[in-house]
Amino acid sequence: MNKKFSDAIAGYLFILPVLLLFIVLTLGPLVGTLLLSFSKFSLLSSSRWVGLSNFFNLFSDARMGVIYGNTLFFVFILVPLHVIVGLVLAVSVEGLTKGSAKYLFRTTFFFPVLATTASVAIAWGMMFDTSFGLINWFIGLIGAKAIPWLNSPVWVYVAVAIFSLWKFIGNSFIYFLVGLQSIPVELYEAAMLDGASPRQRFFRITLPMLSPTMFFVVVNLIIGAAQIFDEPYFLTAGGPGDSSRTVGLYIYETAFQYHNYSYGSAVALSLFLVILLVTLLQFKLQKKWVFYGN
Amino acid sequence: MATKSLEAKMLGKNVGRLFLQVFLILVGLLYFAPFLWMFSTSLRLAKDSFSLPPALFPTAFEIGNYFEVFNKVPFFSFFLNSFKVAVVVALGNVIFSSMAAYSFARIRFPGRNILFLVLLSGLMITNQVTAIPQFILMAKLHMIDNTWTLVLLWLVNPLGIFLIRQQMMAISDSYEEAALMDGANRWWIYSRIMVPMSVPAISVSTVLWFVANWNDFFRPLLFINTWENMTLPLGMTALTGAVGSGNYSAVLAGVMLSLLPCVVIYIFGQRYLLEGLSTGGLKQ
Repeated sequence: MNKKFSDAIAGYLFILPVLLLFIVLTLGPLVGTLLLSFSKFSLLSSSRWVGLSNFFNLFSDARMGVIYGNTLFFVFILVPLHVIVGLVLAVSVEGLTKGSAKYLFRTTFFFPVLATTASVAIAWGMMFDTSFGLINWFIGLIGAKAIPWLNSPVWVYVAVAIFSLWKFIGNSFIYFLVGLQSIPVELYEAAMLDGASPRQRFFRITLPMLSPTMFFVVVNLIIGAAQIFDEPYFLTAGGPGDSSRTVGLYIYETAFQYHNYSYGSAVALSLFLVILLVTLLQFKLQKKWVFYGN
Repeated sequence: MATKSLEAKMLGKNVGRLFLQVFLILVGLLYFAPFLWMFSTSLRLAKDSFSLPPALFPTAFEIGNYFEVFNKVPFFSFFLNSFKVAVVVALGNVIFSSMAAYSFARIRFPGRNILFLVLLSGLMITNQVTAIPQFILMAKLHMIDNTWTLVLLWLVNPLGIFLIRQQMMAISDSYEEAALMDGANRWWIYSRIMVPMSVPAISVSTVLWFVANWNDFFRPLLFINTWENMTLPLGMTALTGAVGSGNYSAVLAGVMLSLLPCVVIYIFGQRYLLEGLSTGGLKQ
C-alpha cells in the first residue's frame, strides 16, 4: 500500500463521521426543502408535484413583501448597531489599565450572551410593559410619556434593538476585544514616535488591523439577523399586526402551526438563496476593504 | 514651558481616562440593572410583582416563588434534559470536529478543499432552511419528542472545525515527521500530538457551541412536545403558561434559576474563550 493511498484512506476516515452527519442532517434536508417547495406535501395523506405553484403563491403573497421588508429592516438596524457598539465597548475596555477592571467589564458585557435567551426575553417582555414596566417607570421619572414599546409598529423595532444589544453585544464585543489584543504594540509605538494623533492611530492602525475580525463579525451578524426568530417570538409575536413578523417567524407559523410544509419550504428556500447571495457578495467585496497583512 | 505642556498633556490624559471610566460604569450599570430587577422582583409577593415603583433592590423576600417553580412544572427535569443535550453535544464537538479538523489541516487526500468548503457552507444553511425536512424525517423515524433528536441535529459544528483547523495548521511539521519516523500511525499523531496542541481552539469552539446549544429554542420548539422531554428554554414557556399572569414573580424566579448554570459556564469557560479566540485566530 503506497503512502498516497493510505493517506487518502486516513483522510476520509477522519472526516467520515462529520461528513455522514452533514449529508444526512444538513445537505439532505436542503435538497428536501427544494423538493418540498415543488410539491404539495402532507404527512398524513398523499403528496403530489405541483411545479412552480408554491413560488407563484410566494410572489403574489401580499404579506411576503411586508415580512421580507421587516427582516431586511432588522438586518439594517441590528448589524451596524452591533458593530459600532461592540467596537466602542471593546476599545474602551481595552483602554483600561487595571486588569481587574477589564475583567469586571468584560464579564458585564459578555455575560448576557450566556444567559438563556428564552428566560431573559420573557423578563424583558415584562420590562417593556407599557403601564407597569421598569423602563417606562424610569422614563416617567424624567417626566416623559409612557412609550408603547411592544404595541406600536415603530417602537417594536426600538424594543427589539435594545433587547438585542443587551443580549448579544457580547459576541461582537469579545471578537473585537481579541482582535484588538492581537494588534502588535510596536505599530502603535512607531506611530507615536512619528507623532500620530489618537484619531490617526485609530483610523490608520486599529481599524485596518481589525478588518479581518470586522469581516468575520459582519458576515455572522448578517446571517444571524436574517434568521432572527427568538426576539420577535418572545417580545412581539410578530405584532402588532404583521409589523415585526420576520421570515423566520413566518416559516415557523406556515409550516408548523398551519402545517403547510410545502409553502413553508418555498419561503425557507427563498431565505437560503438570499443569505447565500449576500454572503457570496461579501466575500467578493472583502478584497476591497479587508487587510490581511504580510 | 516644557514642564507645563507636559502637565497639560498628563491632565488631558487623566481627563480622558476619567471620561472613559465614567462611560463604562454607566453602560455597565445599564447592562447589570435588568438582572437586579429580575432578582428583586422574583422575591416579591405574587400580587406585588408589578406594583410600582419597580424593585431594583429586594423589597420583600418571598422565597416561596422559587418553590412554586418546581411545584408547577418539572423544572429540575428541564435542567437535566438541557445538561444531557448540551454535554453530549459538547463531547461530540470535541471528538468529531477535532478529527475532521485534523484531516483537513494535515492530511492530503483528493477533494479535500472542496469538501472543506462544502462543510463550511453549512454556516449559511440556517436552521429554518433545513427544519421542515428534518422534522418530516424525524417524524417518519418516530423520533419526535426525543431529546436524542436534539443531540443528533447539533453534532456538526462547521465553525468549530474551522477554528480547530486554523490552529492545527499552525503546528510545526517536525512533531509529525518525528512521530511518523518512529512508526506512529495517524490516530496516534491525532490523539497524542494534534489534540493536546490545539486545546485552546478545541475549548473555545466547545464553549461557544455549548452556549449556542444551551440557548437553542427553535429546535426544541419544533421537536419536543411533552414536559418530560423539554429543555430549559422551552420549559421556560411551559412555566410561563403554567404560572403566567397569576404570579410573574415565580416566572422571574424560574428565570433566575435558569441563569445559574450560565454563571458556572462563564466562570469556567471565559479563560478558554479569550485564550482560544486569540490563539485560534480569525485571519483567513
